[in-house]
Amino acid sequence: MGWLVSLLGSSVGKKWMMAVTGFAFLGFLAAHFAGNLTVFGGRESFNGYAQKLQSLGPILHLFRAGLIACALVHITTGLLLFLQNRRARPVGYQVAASAGGRTLSSRTMPYTGLLILAFVVFHLFHFTFVPPAPLTIFDRVAAAFRRPELVALYTAMMVVVALHVRHGFWSAFQTIGAHHPKYMPWIFALSLAAAFATAIGFGSLPILVAALV
Amino acid sequence: MSQTIRLTLKIWRQKGPADPGRFETVAVDGVSTDMSFLEMLDVVNEKRILEGGEPIAFDHDCREGICGSCGAVVNGRPHGHLRGTTLCQLHMRHFRDGDTIVIEPFRARAFPVIKDLVVDRSALDRLIQAGGYVSVNTGSAPEANTLPVPPDRAERAMDAAACIGCGACVAACPNASAMLFTSAKVSHLALLPQGRPEAARRVLAMVRAMDACGFGNCSNHRECEMTCPKEISIVHIARLNREALKAGFLSPEA
Amino acid sequence: MRLDAKIPGGPLPQKWDRHRFELKLVNPANKRKFEILVVGTGLAGASASASLAELGYQVKTFCIHDSPRRAHSIAAQGGINAAKNYPNDGDSIWRLFYDTVKGGDFRAREANVYRLAQISNAIIDHCVAQGVPFAREYGGLLANRSFGGAQLSRTFYARGQTGQQLLLGAYGALMRQAAAGRVRLFPRREILDIVVVRGKARGVVARNLLNGEIECHEGHAVVLCTGGYGNAYYLSTNAKASNVTAAFRAYKRGALFANPCFTQIHPTCIPVHGTYQSKLTLMSESLRNDGRVWVPKTPGDKRPPHQIPEAERDYFLERKYPSFGNLVPRDVASRNVKEQCDQGKGVGETGLAVYLDFADAIRRDGRAVIERKYGNLFQMYEKITGDDPYETPMKIYPAVHYTMGGLWVDYNLMSTLEGLFVLGEANFSDHGANRLGASALMQGLADGYFIIPYTLGGYLAGTPLEPVSASDPAFAETARQAAERLRRLLAVNGRRTPDDLHRELGMVLWNFCGMSRNNEGLRKARGRVQELREEFWRNVRVPGSEQDLNQSLEKAGRVADFMEFAELMILDALERQESCGGHFNEAYQTEDNEARRDDERFCHVAAWEFRGEDRDPVRHVEPLSFEHVPLTQRSYK
Repeated sequence: MGWLVSLLGSSVGKKWMMAVTGFAFLGFLAAHFAGNLTVFGGRESFNGYAQKLQSLGPILHLFRAGLIACALVHITTGLLLFLQNRRARPVGYQVAASAGGRTLSSRTMPYTGLLILAFVVFHLFHFTFVPPAPLTIFDRVAAAFRRPELVALYTAMMVVVALHVRHGFWSAFQTIGAHHPKYMPWIFALSLAAAFATAIGFGSLPILVAALV
Repeated sequence: MSQTIRLTLKIWRQKGPADPGRFETVAVDGVSTDMSFLEMLDVVNEKRILEGGEPIAFDHDCREGICGSCGAVVNGRPHGHLRGTTLCQLHMRHFRDGDTIVIEPFRARAFPVIKDLVVDRSALDRLIQAGGYVSVNTGSAPEANTLPVPPDRAERAMDAAACIGCGACVAACPNASAMLFTSAKVSHLALLPQGRPEAARRVLAMVRAMDACGFGNCSNHRECEMTCPKEISIVHIARLNREALKAGFLSPEA
Repeated sequence: MRLDAKIPGGPLPQKWDRHRFELKLVNPANKRKFEILVVGTGLAGASASASLAELGYQVKTFCIHDSPRRAHSIAAQGGINAAKNYPNDGDSIWRLFYDTVKGGDFRAREANVYRLAQISNAIIDHCVAQGVPFAREYGGLLANRSFGGAQLSRTFYARGQTGQQLLLGAYGALMRQAAAGRVRLFPRREILDIVVVRGKARGVVARNLLNGEIECHEGHAVVLCTGGYGNAYYLSTNAKASNVTAAFRAYKRGALFANPCFTQIHPTCIPVHGTYQSKLTLMSESLRNDGRVWVPKTPGDKRPPHQIPEAERDYFLERKYPSFGNLVPRDVASRNVKEQCDQGKGVGETGLAVYLDFADAIRRDGRAVIERKYGNLFQMYEKITGDDPYETPMKIYPAVHYTMGGLWVDYNLMSTLEGLFVLGEANFSDHGANRLGASALMQGLADGYFIIPYTLGGYLAGTPLEPVSASDPAFAETARQAAERLRRLLAVNGRRTPDDLHRELGMVLWNFCGMSRNNEGLRKARGRVQELREEFWRNVRVPGSEQDLNQSLEKAGRVADFMEFAELMILDALERQESCGGHFNEAYQTEDNEARRDDERFCHVAAWEFRGEDRDPVRHVEPLSFEHVPLTQRSYK
């Protein structure tokens, strides 16, 4: 066991944990997105989806536990990396300049990450950890998105998630060593596509719901 | 055709490791555009010595971009703004008359400042000591052509081996990570059959040493490969990650 | 003094084997009781430190840089020779030996050169095993290219960074021993003197460049691997820190200095562009494989190169030397370039340059091929000059590059100061009056990997060495002298900087003791150097203190030694009344302006003995006999 702790505790080990849990979240995002689409089928369809999820019982709990574990690992490792990285340069530069490697997305990873954490907590209490009656989930969603400030919040947060995905996606590949001159351009393109899909796919939802309902 | 330009330098001055340091502003006139950056500093220093001032200390040696001694952060960029260039190869023709140039030492916890622009990069030697070699004693080598190496593989190994150990990757990395340096050596030797027998031990030991030296972690910002005067690619960082994964989980090495 | 080179008996090819058998061995268990001080971490120093440590000796290694990897061997571009004969073009140990002796214009020892050629193959084997990424053919086997002074391909290379890759290999080996605790590294140390105890070299006095502390280190032997003295000329292709101090101190402590006038001027360097210039940059000799050297036929033709039609160009090397063409040895090429410029045919702003043109090669092989071969060199050229060599021909001019002279050593690489061994460029041994391309790397590594491990063992096993400690009065006295010298430098407080004085010294040497020399000029230069030295000690200005990182003080100490050493170079040039290799005295030339040797009077090594500050040094002679290579006039026609 000692070897595993020391391996995962090393700088590359921590990055693998970030990458692997990151992949899990990407998978979750994809599934969540597919589920969200049922909202356009109307009240029955969306509530049906919610009930189906609930009916999974232990499997759902297993998934939730998995996600929580991933989140704990991703957040604590991320924070640790963030703090270590700051410590690695105690005195900064007078002139901050980039050679062109950093992107808005890469430089904001820790901050978008923390914002996402706050948002996820809010989102869970907003839509997930709520009594199933008298309001159905569809009613709740529809009611929420009638409020423009919530539409704005959800949409803005989806842009934040997209930013996080933009760097996290290709970064995860790089970190587990999947970098090949032949395929890397595709992975870069895919990570951009995933970011846009997140921003548009998730971000447009509150607006569309608000418009449709 | 050469011209002369006038510059304002804001240079970091620090008497010793314990001195807090400060910026000093120096006006320089008559800088030939054919001068290298270091020659420009030479001219400043010559003048200072005669005026009774303390010359600016900076590391330099070969002045042809291969020894890796030189390097300061010029306007926020290690080795200056030109791609694939060491500071000694940066010529003043790339600056304009009237420019203000801010010159700072490489900054990283693992590279403490010694004096002015001189920093202690011995951490990079410690990384190599951890395993950046093939363990072969003099006299025991087989005939050189016994092991063929496909030319493209040799070329990729050479791409990584071109590292001059200047430390600009660390200076440029927002996290002061030494991943590009470390991966260049891991990758160079992992690509060659001669380096394979020790590949697992090497990568794990070098990663451990990297962490012990107080470098940051890699966040894939890619500033390193954009700054590297030898344009070493982060493809080597990926190879390090892969080698470490393989070694960490599959090899019996701890 | 009789100089005994201790060349073993027997037929040439068996001398080294026989000698290794005759050398006494140190019992493996006893090796760790010996402490060896290695100064310098270039190819010779790093390889010697690593190899000695592998054998079990305790090694202390000193380097002037922050890391051993930065030694100037790193800048060697072209390649390393070996007699592998992989291309099947007729190479052999004998031919490499022959070419090296002939290339050196018959001023090297046959036995040493033969040993070098014998060892050359093992070097390649070892470096490949270390993971040096040499260029490969499609089938994965090692590639070779041709190089100046040879008519076959025997040069192994790693792009244009062969020296870097070989040095990193040796540095890796050194770091492996450092990690194992068998080598203790002392970076950022400058060796200020050699400590001699009861006639033997037993230690060094070093200055810690970070805090100025003067340190004494004792050992059973000292191995100097401190490179050449090309920086005496101020402008050279050497790195800025390259200096003669340690070697010159050894000379003052009793080691003879051999052939100091043998300096190599490399033909293909980027021309000087201004008075502020701090160093010159070499463009690898390998460029002459594909580049064609030319000047306009009419003196003073200032048209840009592409406007000069083919018929009005003079490809003078190809014209004068049809069989070697652009690949004539360095001394021949340099002198011809100078001759063209002296005739007013030089190009560029200063008229001190000739073209090196790749247009034909690009037309023949395509840009991609040329880029693969020389890409990094072209890039380096463009960075410095702002010109693109794919479009306009390069401008090149000769520059000081390598010094064949060095401390005199016997076949065991030991100097006349017992216990002081000298390796690599710092010794004089293998290149005679001119070094062939790609031979410096070979010699540095041969000395470090494959010669010193045996010969040093022989010395240690065969010499009674009583214990000494750094508290011995000899250490204190040597350290006191070194510290005193530093204080004297600081106390002058004159009006000229060390660099300024150094630049002037360099001009004197370059003009009178450079590519071509004459007695009148040399005599004038000697007087000028004496005046300059006097001015130096009266008028140098060194700021700061000796107890700090003080780069001006470091420079001043080195310049002070160059000021003295330059006179030795001039003296040696004056005494050698012949022309050979890199030493070209205008009074001794053939009708074709080639160097004319005088084998009757000068077929020998001149080794200078220091006799005190105010006395002229004494010239000793080691006669050279050539039993295997007939003494001929070199001809590259």
